[in-house]
Amino acid sequence: MRETEVVIAGCGAISAVGCGIETLRDALKKNSSGLRPLEKFSSPRFQSNVAGAAPRNFDDDNPAWSLATEALQQARESAQKILAEIPAGRIGLVLSTTKANIEALERISENRPCSETARRHLQANLLAADLAAAHGARGPVQTISVACVSGLIAVQQGAKLIQRGEADAVFVVGVDCLSEFVVAGFTALKALDPLGCRPFDAARCGLSPGEAGAAIVLARKDFAADSTIKIRGFGGSNDANHLTGPSRDGSGLAQAIRVALKSAKLSPQEIDFVHAHGTGTSYNDAMESLALKTVFGETSPPVSGSKGMLGHTLGAAGVLETICCVLAMQNNFLPGTPRLQTPADGAPKSLLREPKFGLRVKNVLKLNTGFGGMNGALILSHE
Amino acid sequence: MNKISIAAASIVTEADLPSARLGQRFGRLDLQSQLALLAVASLKINFDEFARDRIGICLAASAGSLSTDVNFWNGRNGIGGPSPTLFAYTLPSAAVGEIAIHFHLTGPDLCFVGDDKNLLAEAADFIRRGDADGCVCVFCEAVTAGCAEMISLPQTATAGAIFLKRGGGLREWREFDRDMKALCALILQSKSAG
Repeated sequence: MRETEVVIAGCGAISAVGCGIETLRDALKKNSSGLRPLEKFSSPRFQSNVAGAAPRNFDDDNPAWSLATEALQQARESAQKILAEIPAGRIGLVLSTTKANIEALERISENRPCSETARRHLQANLLAADLAAAHGARGPVQTISVACVSGLIAVQQGAKLIQRGEADAVFVVGVDCLSEFVVAGFTALKALDPLGCRPFDAARCGLSPGEAGAAIVLARKDFAADSTIKIRGFGGSNDANHLTGPSRDGSGLAQAIRVALKSAKLSPQEIDFVHAHGTGTSYNDAMESLALKTVFGETSPPVSGSKGMLGHTLGAAGVLETICCVLAMQNNFLPGTPRLQTPADGAPKSLLREPKFGLRVKNVLKLNTGFGGMNGALILSHE
Repeated sequence: MNKISIAAASIVTEADLPSARLGQRFGRLDLQSQLALLAVASLKINFDEFARDRIGICLAASAGSLSTDVNFWNGRNGIGGPSPTLFAYTLPSAAVGEIAIHFHLTGPDLCFVGDDKNLLAEAADFIRRGDADGCVCVFCEAVTAGCAEMISLPQTATAGAIFLKRGGGLREWREFDRDMKALCALILQSKSAG
């Protein structure tokens, strides 16, 4: 029996480069960076004040709700015609987040004003339930939190819900917000680049935190005949090596890529572009480069990463960066790697510093890795 | 072979932690990871019988990592500042990482926040799709007093685990097996009666 095809029917995003899909597409084409120094983190308590802040009110006590709602609203509007055909009971929602509305914890502990809703959304599953109720998704609801791979796994879960016949459309929403909690944590780990992250650069020395709301509407192909980008395959694995550090040899990520290729029934040679995790930390980028070499040999397809533009948006990253891939496929270009100056020794030779235009991009491999040794590989295909 | 079976089940509480013999690192883990790891160890599965890259882990954390979040945040002004060790546990999936490291399980992972009603079905799906031959399923309810104050969940510290595998076992898994806690209790009860 042929597996049900799942396509991307709509997208929405709010991130460091602004609000809306067109804004994100233009930033990708211009290779611009949304990273900037923020007053909020200008304190010796933090290793860096460079971050990717979304255009939002920093007095908001529930930014997770605001960012997620903005992105989901955009995605629903872009898939309006398709969604009109599907009953609410057949629409599911999968939320991807690592810290939900952690802002509320900071406020409560400091006796600052905090609404009941903001407090409620400390619990990611309640944030998901409220998003589903507010956006007319009465089908299955899941809340995924698998570190920085959450977004890719959420896309996988959304596709599975459709393939198993539990839903005809699924809203996949990724959200995480800039907070003192997160910046203090990465400062404690000494994982931030004081100058802003430089993925795959010889001088890279850490990540830049970011925030975003990102949403994708997945639909069964028969409801979205005009949608041309489908979820082709997925692979996951665990390094089983270290809680906060990746495996040194990239074997875990290579395993996830191979599983994804197998599920997509594709050979490595059929991949046209790799969108990397590319955090800008020394070990992660080196590990990712090794994993690509293991699978593709010396002739890796073009590779780039977007965290120099968007920052590391944690639970939103997989969804937001999948949207970057969709925009590249729809507009026939390959994004570059903002803030990359001199590629590091061992970085893929096919690393793109600048975008490349006028290319038909058929099969894209999207990678994410996370604390706890988690690895994820998603393959998208353009018909 | 399409049959999927439950090979073992376990339930542990905070009271079981002091007698755990799971290596030197165990004492440094957060409460949720300790409970989860002990629940999996209590299954007494010989993972050597499987290829490690063919065993997945599915975990549901009822309150995410909020108990550890509260500890991390409350300790931020202490000597030396926020704890890097504790920060690593402010992810609900940290417990999945600890299970993977301890038992060297390199298959696919899933981690849900909230109830565990999807857990066994998703684990069975890994097996059915051919992504895994076995899957460790763990539910964790780690709500400390500090966390319970913040949210509407009672204070608790318990975890349970089930090992699902392709082929025969203690009991065949069925689609309607959704309440993991009740299922763990049922299996343990029937095992002790038998």
